[in-house]
Amino acid sequence: MAGVAGGNDFQWCFSQVKGAIDEDVAEADIISTVEFNHSGELLATGDKGGRVVIFQHEQECKNRPNLRGEYNVYSTFQSHEPEFDYLKSLEIEEKINKIRWLPQQNSAHFLLSTNDKTIKLWKIGERDKRAEGYNLKDEDGRLRDPFRITSLRVPVLMPMDLMVEASPRRVFANAHTYHINSISVNSDHQTYLSADDLRINLWHLEITDRSFNIKPANMEELTEVITAAECHPNQCNVFVYSSSKGTIRLCDMRTAALCDSHTKFFEEPEDPSSRSFFSEIISSISDVKFSHSGRYMMTRDYLSVKVWDLNMENRPVETYQVHEYLRSKLCSLYENDCIFDKFECCWNGSDSAIMTGSYNNFFRMFDRNTRKDITLEASRESSKPRATLKPRKVSTGGKRKKDEISVDSLDFNKKILHTAWHPKENVIAVAATNNLYIFQDKIN
Amino acid sequence: MEYKVEAHRIMSISLGKIYNSRVQRGGIKLHKNLLVSLVLRSARQVYLRDYYGGICLSAQQAREWCEGEYMDSEQDKLVPGSTESLPESDGQSEVAVDKQEPSNVVESHAALDVESEASGEQDHAENGVLDSGCSELKTPEESPEASPTCEVSNVVTTISSNCISGPPPSNPKQATETPNGCQTDDGESVEEKLHEPIVPHTCTNRKRSADDSELTDSLPKKTKVMSSTLISKNDEKKAETEEMDTSNVSSLITIFGSSFSGLLSSEDGAQPDSEAEDSDSGQICCDQMLKNLNPWSTAIVAF
Repeated sequence: MAGVAGGNDFQWCFSQVKGAIDEDVAEADIISTVEFNHSGELLATGDKGGRVVIFQHEQECKNRPNLRGEYNVYSTFQSHEPEFDYLKSLEIEEKINKIRWLPQQNSAHFLLSTNDKTIKLWKIGERDKRAEGYNLKDEDGRLRDPFRITSLRVPVLMPMDLMVEASPRRVFANAHTYHINSISVNSDHQTYLSADDLRINLWHLEITDRSFNIKPANMEELTEVITAAECHPNQCNVFVYSSSKGTIRLCDMRTAALCDSHTKFFEEPEDPSSRSFFSEIISSISDVKFSHSGRYMMTRDYLSVKVWDLNMENRPVETYQVHEYLRSKLCSLYENDCIFDKFECCWNGSDSAIMTGSYNNFFRMFDRNTRKDITLEASRESSKPRATLKPRKVSTGGKRKKDEISVDSLDFNKKILHTAWHPKENVIAVAATNNLYIFQDKIN
Repeated sequence: MEYKVEAHRIMSISLGKIYNSRVQRGGIKLHKNLLVSLVLRSARQVYLRDYYGGICLSAQQAREWCEGEYMDSEQDKLVPGSTESLPESDGQSEVAVDKQEPSNVVESHAALDVESEASGEQDHAENGVLDSGCSELKTPEESPEASPTCEVSNVVTTISSNCISGPPPSNPKQATETPNGCQTDDGESVEEKLHEPIVPHTCTNRKRSADDSELTDSLPKKTKVMSSTLISKNDEKKAETEEMDTSNVSSLITIFGSSFSGLLSSEDGAQPDSEAEDSDSGQICCDQMLKNLNPWSTAIVAF
């Protein structure tokens, strides 16, 4: 599937919205991460209350072949609880920072979820059969009196209502002094990395009490922190990490046991004409994602998205402005803390389009081939079933056209930080505060 | 001029953010505070560039007459409760001192050195010597030749000479300083000295070392309180000027890596107060203080 976005032959329409409609949003309900699994069948969300909700794609209805199946709740569980570090007198938030799925190897599904300090491996399994006819206990579980047992029988598996169970299989704790910002599963399916501000740890999925520091924290000389890290999708020895200075380092684990020197260093020279008090903040990279092919990577800083070719380190091959009209408002955005928002970005399945969020519940898509871009809004008003989303526009000049919205009327509390694109189809999940919107392309 | 106003506003906001980050749930976020400190530094550079534009010219002359002159001014300043407020002077007193915090302020070898130097001379001279110091507190950019030390000693001097009333100095050494009443800042003389890197290299960062603590005691509250974290931060600080980056981060790391205990009184970032007359940890005008603080101090002050 081409996955073209924004073109004339392609339209996004509303599919579903999950979450409360209430105006009063509870802090714990705010979605903090969204991730499709490798097949796209499952969609996981994590929230600030430490809960994980997994949606499953239902099979398409036979009587309505035009409609793709919907995503319905598959499993909900409490992944992390608030903790208290007694030594440092610090509270550890239960907010789920990232969820990453492991490639499926058997009938169960596995995912990694992390808060600021602890990573957990969860197994989500189905149970639809139950053994009945035990010898030593009754159907309701009570032990039978052994003297009453006169014959032996073999328990039989009987069907039961489908039950989805989530159980923690591993807990990887006490390896990060600072707040974990990324986890990434390696292509070898055996290791994964976790990154905090100053250190990247390489873990083996089976071993919970040991990890390898890839980037030693050399505090005295660091003037920047690690903001995101990701494993290469194909080469299990390669990973990248981005910094608060707007640079990306690519490391090869084959070169040394400690990857404190990089193999490649990606940095775009700063444009001196756009220097301001906030230049450093807006150049800090909030997300880095490899393309599915592994040839490119994408970085998101405050105002733009950049696509880099791994073979060219001195500048990105493509730069897309997400909301350049905010450049003149940086001071106000600094005051209300919006300038510190960490937007994520994502590729579509074929790497031909990229998507990222903005304010006022807007999100943007860029088609890399046609160079077209589109701004869409995730709102309840445009949430009628299969309603086509209308492109939105922010007016930057003096004259505001009809249907345009002026920069000053943007609602900066409604921000879309987390988006996900189905790995194979044109289905996207957009997290708007406490609501999860699912959009899909119109099947003609 | 509007840049200066804007820069000042941004500095106040930044300090407020750093202060508020202490109470945020989940602990202090290193990344965000690093970014805030970078903004603070940029704003400060702009602010001070404007500010010192005029001062620099007179710095040279000040250098000449200061040795003799300041003594007199120092004497004047010894008047307790003097509310003289020299706008510039406040800057130096960056040493916000929290009486309760022996670690505050500058203690460092510099202070000691200054003292020893001073003790070798007359009382007034002592003051003078102490006062003459370069300004670590000052913008490093303005006085590139200033070794990181000076400022501290500068402040120290100022403080001591200005009789800080604060926690009674436990160190007899302090006797040389005439603590009485609060002092505002004998900004002028010190101010002018800011550009003079007279003090030896030793007076580096306001490190808190055991021996310095006594000196510290004698320098109670100066303008702003330096939190203990600042002190520990200082431990990692090297020459201020160009190493601002590393010291910044290391300082931040130190701060955020440990719990903030004994942090200072909150500062009223945006409200300039008149010179603190009281013997308590007076809050000097934010302006004045900010001018002379290096970003770190400023950050600390926020606490």
